[in-house]
Amino acid sequence: MTLLSVQDLKLEYDGRIILDGVSFDLAQGELKVIMGPSGSGKSTLLRCLNRLATPTGGRVVFEGRDVLGPGVDERALRQRIGFVFQNFALYRHLTALQNVTLALRHLRRMPAAEADERALRQLARMDMQAHAHKYPAQLSGGQKQRVAIARALAMDPAVLFFDEPTSALDPLMSREVVNILHQLRDERVSMLCVTHDLYLARAAGGRVMFLDEGRIHAEGEVDELFGPNADPRVRAFFHQELRQAQTAQPIDAAQPMDQAQPAGPSGPAGLAER
Amino acid sequence: MSFLQILLQLAGGVGYTIMVTVACSLTGVVVGLGVAMLSRIGPPWLRGLLGAFTFIFRAVPVLVLLFIVFFGLPNAGLRVPPLVAMMLSLGVIAGAYLAEVFRGAFDSVDASEVLAAEAMGLSRFQILRLIEIPQMLRFAVPGMINEFTTVLKYSPFAYTVGIPDVMKEAMSLSATTLRGVEIYLAVGIIYFLIYKLLVTGVWALEKRTRIPGLTG
Ligand SMILES: Nc1ncnc2c1ncn2[C@@H]1O[C@H](COP(=O)(O)OP(=O)(O)O)[C@@H](O)[C@H]1O
Ligand SMILES: [Mg+2]
Repeated sequence: MTLLSVQDLKLEYDGRIILDGVSFDLAQGELKVIMGPSGSGKSTLLRCLNRLATPTGGRVVFEGRDVLGPGVDERALRQRIGFVFQNFALYRHLTALQNVTLALRHLRRMPAAEADERALRQLARMDMQAHAHKYPAQLSGGQKQRVAIARALAMDPAVLFFDEPTSALDPLMSREVVNILHQLRDERVSMLCVTHDLYLARAAGGRVMFLDEGRIHAEGEVDELFGPNADPRVRAFFHQELRQAQTAQPIDAAQPMDQAQPAGPSGPAGLAER
Repeated sequence: MSFLQILLQLAGGVGYTIMVTVACSLTGVVVGLGVAMLSRIGPPWLRGLLGAFTFIFRAVPVLVLLFIVFFGLPNAGLRVPPLVAMMLSLGVIAGAYLAEVFRGAFDSVDASEVLAAEAMGLSRFQILRLIEIPQMLRFAVPGMINEFTTVLKYSPFAYTVGIPDVMKEAMSLSATTLRGVEIYLAVGIIYFLIYKLLVTGVWALEKRTRIPGLTG
């Protein structure tokens, strides 16, 4: 069943074309990965889908409803979409637990005890229950991102959007997040994941769409997309990512971490760290 | 009359000095918060209007505004009690300064947190109340202490509208005893003690509500 359908989405800003007719579908329980160079419009695309940005053309149908039409309740729409950001964007004045309960308390009007219980369940799902009462500044990057994912999941969204969830993390911490994506995919959570990280794209195991200059140029499994018959644009992107990966520090030189985990699913480990 | 007796005599005005300082500081916080909040979420024309307000009220001398309010408004048929006159002059001027302090502190709130809150489906007002104000107030503590101190130091103008504060007591006392130097030395000591109390109190409050990694 189609959860999200994007048809010929266009966005022009100051006479510049940012999105140039993007179309794709996301099925219930599916994970789709969007890759592409910086400035290709990936973040803008996600923002159009929950109306943080306003497209200038096209159609978006989410849960059977036209999202772009007039009279759409933007705030209700956003509550159906969990959003995870590159820089975590945790509320710094709130504990991990309070970050997760905020929406439940103030959007669902849930009593404190019920919200706490529910939030603790989500934190446990991310293996973060032991850190529930810490403030963001007291958590590592990987832990912050896990809290952010718990926060996004707390409202029982129909879909999760990830915007480069591992780009601000070192290779070891990226793995924590990759493992979680893997776990959520096994639980059949619908997800749309923008990333630069080839390791993430591969380990997550979803279909990959390649976005460049506001258009989707190729779509397929990671290996066929980046394989010998790749589109030249995709090949150029791939080579650049590989070059950057080679200059990045090796995994065993990463800072000591309290959450070190064994190697995740096989793949070009730590290839695309930036 | 010993120095200690002078101090005790003046102490009768301390309550009024503190009352004026607290009332005007609170007025300042309310006005400053209102202005800073409306400028943050209001339309551009309102922002312009509020900008003009802060600009003008930061330029007016406190004593001039106090006299306009206390002696001028009764001409328009509006009698203003002395404390209210202080709040409408010193308090509102402090509000204009605090609006700037709060504006700067609002700008220190991470834009990505506001975006995350929007993406979550919170209303603009909820974001202000739940995310921006709690952080902003903590960022604004040093600036607020600064402004409260300024209010304390302007509070002696209260005697000009008949509030029997420390300054008023000192003037009557020096008129009857002719021991001005000692008396005003005592006044200085009293203001220093009130200042110390004020600063210690605000920092104690800040410490109790401090969040690891948010400030300093
Ligand atoms: N708020 C904005 N105002 C103007 N231009 C923007 C804005 N946001 C993004 N852009 C432009 O849109 C293009 C796509 O940006 P973005 O979606 O952030 O790309 P990506 O996430 O793929 O790196 C870029 O060229 C960027 O300069
Ligand atoms: Mg981006």
